[in-house]
Amino acid sequence: MIKILNVAYKNLLRKKTRSGLTIIGIALAAWVLVSLLGFNKGYESSLNRDIDNLGFQMIVTAKGCPYEAATLMLKGGTGLRYMPQNITEQIAREPEVEAVTSMLMQAVFDPNKGESGGYSAYLGVDPATFPQMKSFLEFKQGKWFTDPDALEAVLGYEAAELEQREVGDPLLIIEKNVEVKVVGILKRTGTQDDGTIFLPLNSVQKIFGVKDELTGVGIKVKKEADMVQFEEKMYKLPDVQVVSLSQVKQTIMTLVSTAKVMVFSIALIAILISVVGVINTILMSVMERLQEIGILKSMGATAWDIFKLIWLETLILCISGGMIGAALAMATAKLTEVLIRQLLPYAPSGGLVQINLSLIILTFGVVILIGLLSGVYPSWKAGRVRPLEAIRSQVE
Amino acid sequence: MLGVSMMKKINVMFVVAVFLLIPVELLFAAVGCDLNDPDRDVARLFPGSTGYKTNYVAIDQRGGPSLLEQIEDRLGDKFKGLFETIDVPYTLYEVFKGKDKIGYIHGVNEKGQYGGIQVFVVLDLEGVIKSFYFQKLTSRYGKQLRDPKFGEQFVGLSLKDFYNYDVQSGKTSGPSAVEKIKNPVPEAEPDFRAALRGTKKNLILVDEFILGNKYLQYHQSGGEQNK
Repeated sequence: MIKILNVAYKNLLRKKTRSGLTIIGIALAAWVLVSLLGFNKGYESSLNRDIDNLGFQMIVTAKGCPYEAATLMLKGGTGLRYMPQNITEQIAREPEVEAVTSMLMQAVFDPNKGESGGYSAYLGVDPATFPQMKSFLEFKQGKWFTDPDALEAVLGYEAAELEQREVGDPLLIIEKNVEVKVVGILKRTGTQDDGTIFLPLNSVQKIFGVKDELTGVGIKVKKEADMVQFEEKMYKLPDVQVVSLSQVKQTIMTLVSTAKVMVFSIALIAILISVVGVINTILMSVMERLQEIGILKSMGATAWDIFKLIWLETLILCISGGMIGAALAMATAKLTEVLIRQLLPYAPSGGLVQINLSLIILTFGVVILIGLLSGVYPSWKAGRVRPLEAIRSQVE
Repeated sequence: MLGVSMMKKINVMFVVAVFLLIPVELLFAAVGCDLNDPDRDVARLFPGSTGYKTNYVAIDQRGGPSLLEQIEDRLGDKFKGLFETIDVPYTLYEVFKGKDKIGYIHGVNEKGQYGGIQVFVVLDLEGVIKSFYFQKLTSRYGKQLRDPKFGEQFVGLSLKDFYNYDVQSGKTSGPSAVEKIKNPVPEAEPDFRAALRGTKKNLILVDEFILGNKYLQYHQSGGEQNK
C-alpha cells in the first residue's frame, strides 16, 4: 500500500503546475464550505445567546402603529404608545409565568449632543424584578439602584464609555433638565444592554410625566409551559401586541436566509467546479500515461491495482486541497466575519463564524467523498486499459 | 386590511426593531473619536479638499507604557478613569488636495460635567489650529460653548502655546495665548476646562503621531515663556 501511495505521489509531482492548480481549486471549495458551515453554526448560536441574554422569552407591548419604532428615532418618546402598569400584575397571575418585569423606554432630543443634535434613550426598569431576570449582568463598578424612586442610573459599558461616566458622576437628562447620579457601570455583555442607560421605572415615569404607564413587559415563561398556547392567551389581553422571542429569532433567521441561500449556491458551484477540475486532471493524467499503464498491466498489475493507483492520486489531491482550505478558513475567519457583517441586515453580537474540530472533520469527510466519487471514472477507465492496445497506440 | 398573520409579522418586526435594533442605533454610536460623517465633515472643514486618509493609532501599539508616560508628562496630567486608557484607538485624518497634503483633523473624548465631550481640532501642516469644535457635548451650557465665537478663540494657537497651561489647575504659568481663551459661562467651568485639556491632548497626540515631535523642544524648555 505504501508503495502504491509513493507511486501515486510521484505521479502527481510529474505535473506540478497541473496538480497545484487542482489542489487550489479544491482548497477554495473547502474554504467556502468551512466558512459557510462555520457561519451557519456561529450565527445561530450568537443569535440564541443574544436572545437568551434578554432574560425573557416574551415581550408584551402596547398595540399601535408598527412604525412607532421609527417614530422613537425621529421624535423621541413623543410618539410612543403606552400600556397601563397594572397589566404586569395581570400577566404575573397566569400559571405559565415564572417572572415578569415592567419596562418604560423614553428618548429625549439634545440639540447640542451632535452637530445636528442627537437622541439619548433611557430604559426605566423595575429594580425589584429586572436584576433577577438579568442575573447574568455583572458590574464593572458600583451596583443597582439604592431605591425604586432614586434619581440614579446604571449604564451599560458602551453607554458609560460614550458619556465618559463613572460611579458617582452626574448624568444630565437634558430636555427635562434633571440630573441623575451614576451608581453602576455594567461589564461588557456583547448585547444591546451595553449601550443602554437604565433608570428606576418610577423615576422614569416621574421625570417624563407618564405615571402608571409602560412601553413593555418582559415575561419569563416556565420551562414546562406551552408557549404557543400562552401566546394565544396573551393576545386576548386588550390593546397589546405579543411577541415571543422565538418569533423574533425566526424573523431574523428569515431575514438572513436570502444571504445564506446565495452563499450556499456559491459553495455548491465551487464544489461542482472543483469536482470537474479533479476529474479533468486525473483523466488527462490517465490519457497521457496509457503506455505506462499498459506496461504495468503487461507486467502483471491487475485492473484493481491500476484503479487503486489512480484513485489514490485523486485522494491525495483532495486531501491536500481540503487541508489547505480548512487552514485558510480558520486563518480568515475574522475577515469573513467582517464581510458578513457588512452584508447582513442584522448581525448578533459575538462570533459570527465558529470553526471547530467537528466542522473541520465534516468538511474533510465531504472533500474525501468528492475525491472518491470524482476519482471513480478516471480510475475505472485506467483499469480497463488493454495492455497491447495501450502500448501500440503510444508507439503509433 | 392587512391579514392577521401579516399584522403578526409586522409586530414581530416592530419588536425586533425596538428591542434589538433601536438601542443599537441610538446608543451604540462610535465610542472612539471618529468623525460622525468623515466625507461630509472633511469637505466642510477643508473646503476644496479632494480626499483624506484615515489612520488609527493607539499608544500601546506605538510605544507602550513609556510613550504613555511621555505623553502624560507633556500633558501635565495622568490619563485617568475607566476610559482614558493606553489602548484607546485615536483616529487621525490626513487631508489632501490632489496629491498635496493640506492638513489634519484629530479628536479626543473628554469627561465633561454631565457627559462625554468630543473635542476636535483642525490643524494645518505646522500643527496650528485652523478650527476647533465640539462634535458631541452634553452640557447645560451647550449653546454657549457651541457658539462659533468660543471656538474662534483657539484659531492660530499651537501646542507651543498650550505648554504653559496646567490642565489640572486650569491656570497658565506666565503669559500665554491660552489665557486669552475666555469661558463664556462661569458655571460651565468643568466643561470649559475639559475643552482646554482635550485641545492640549489633541495637539500632543498629533505632534507625537504625525509631526515628529516638532513641539517637544518647547515642552523641554518650559513652554512658550522660555522659547
